[in-house]
Amino acid sequence: MKPFLKTLLFLCIAGALALPWLSPPVYFVSLLFIVFMYVVMAESWVLIGGFAGYLSFGHGAFLGIGAYTTALLMNHFHLSPLWVLVSALPAGAVAACIAAVIGYPALRLRGPYFALITLCFAFVMELVVKNLDFLGGPEGLWLKAMGIDVGLARGIFFEVMFVLMVVTVLTVRHIEFSRFGVGLKAIKEDEEVAQTLCVHTPRVKLSAFVLSAFFPGIAGGLYAYYLSYIHPETVFNIDISILIVLMALFGGGGTFMGPIVGAISLSLINELLSAFLKAEYARVIYGLLFVVLILYLPDGVMSFFRKGKSADT
Amino acid sequence: MTGILVLQSLISGLMIGAIYGLLGVGFSLVWGAMKVINIAHAAFAVLGAYLAYALLKMFGLDPVLGFFVILPFLFFGGMVLYRYLIFPVMRARDIVVSSMVLTFGCAIIIENLISLIGSPDPRVFTTRYTGKALFLGPFAFQLPQTVGALMALGGMAVLYIFLKKTHTGKALRASWQQPEAARLYGINLKRISMIAFGLAVASAGLGGIAMGFVYSFDPHTHNLWLIYIFLVVILGGVGNVLGTALAGLLIGLLNGLSLAFFPYQWVNVITFGVLILILLVRPSGLFASEV
Repeated sequence: MKPFLKTLLFLCIAGALALPWLSPPVYFVSLLFIVFMYVVMAESWVLIGGFAGYLSFGHGAFLGIGAYTTALLMNHFHLSPLWVLVSALPAGAVAACIAAVIGYPALRLRGPYFALITLCFAFVMELVVKNLDFLGGPEGLWLKAMGIDVGLARGIFFEVMFVLMVVTVLTVRHIEFSRFGVGLKAIKEDEEVAQTLCVHTPRVKLSAFVLSAFFPGIAGGLYAYYLSYIHPETVFNIDISILIVLMALFGGGGTFMGPIVGAISLSLINELLSAFLKAEYARVIYGLLFVVLILYLPDGVMSFFRKGKSADT
Repeated sequence: MTGILVLQSLISGLMIGAIYGLLGVGFSLVWGAMKVINIAHAAFAVLGAYLAYALLKMFGLDPVLGFFVILPFLFFGGMVLYRYLIFPVMRARDIVVSSMVLTFGCAIIIENLISLIGSPDPRVFTTRYTGKALFLGPFAFQLPQTVGALMALGGMAVLYIFLKKTHTGKALRASWQQPEAARLYGINLKRISMIAFGLAVASAGLGGIAMGFVYSFDPHTHNLWLIYIFLVVILGGVGNVLGTALAGLLIGLLNGLSLAFFPYQWVNVITFGVLILILLVRPSGLFASEV
């Protein structure tokens, strides 16, 4: 990495860590919290969708699972809200376990079939949660409010989500260049060949899927407390699942940088558009953005920066 | 009495299944022939329903006749769309992924243009025969539903004959089995794909109008329709027209049956659950893929 980029990166990190304590408008802190959450989601999606080429259209479900796990833990054990930082970890674990159960059979399917079955899974999760009474049913669940100032609470969540994002990005970056990551990419190129080259494809795929559900689970736990009221239609929304895929693909799915670029740019553009325009116009422009982008850069935004380098990566 | 109830739900399930089948056939045509996953397919269906609704409200034109008015617009619209949006994307490394992002953008645009120009509240076709039914023995056929199902069956039959009997249809099938070989035999792939895309969009419009007879629709309904289209196509096998049609009927049947025995809010859960199970047992659809 060039020294200039390195300094810039450090400045960004330092700025992000310091931001909430400089008493900015709460709106900015909240906006960045959501942006970070999407980076976490898109980044972990890349493990299975970008590296291994298994397009999971149900990753939003893991956010919802995490959110509901945290909410249940908090309400059941009457934990003080600040414990959310601890209870978000079990939320990630639960999401990972469910991913293992779903992934074991689903990962035998390939291509569009896998995409479909994960989409169905996300859809079924929303419907099931909506119809189970102990999960609050269609009314959703309330979480205890924190007894502290809103600005301070937002600041704490901002920092935690930021740390989670950094951890996720570093993990994915590490995996991209590890044996594990190479195995995943081999699966994307040609699964049979990968298998003959001693890549244990079922195990590699399953571990990638489980890991890629773990981080969204934690993010979901934090999100639940941030919202302090969760509803099946907000945390299990199919749109979130599709948006994650688009963010990763928008940036270019094959690398750890792509989803960061995609998640940040898409969520900021969406926010800016809907802040200044009538909702329908904003959405039309948002849609046009996808069309124009794909027409000029069919392989994602990041392909623009990689043009000079070898084309076959 | 319960026997009649079950049969009745089977009948209405089959009717809706026929419409799902038609929507799926167009989707499968595009997917099979040019490896493009058209997320906007259901949005075109909603567009067709809205256009027919507008004709009905403004000129009192029956939606069935209205379809013939909007058919050329949808067909040429689809061709233009293919020529200027889909075709340039075919150079991408991964057509499936790029086309999905592109058509997702199209779906958002269509959805919001509809709600800008029309309004986002749910609509339903109200024609002379709304609320009427045909009685055959103990069974009641609701007229709007029957009209929708007949439209869908007709559309599927036309598509099937087109693919199997006409010269262009055969060329289309050839170009999706062996694009290189088809080109060697002098088939103009671009022209063929354009026609296929136009047909798919037109059939989506027909399917949308047929859906409008059964369910109410609003600009956002295309999301749910799309999931059903996906299910039908995957179950039937991509590019398999007959299989897709059968899968549509099967899903309709399943829907109708679960509606007869379970509370309404669990119907979708059961349908999807059964389909997940089927997919796990037969990973490439129920019917072997043949073109």
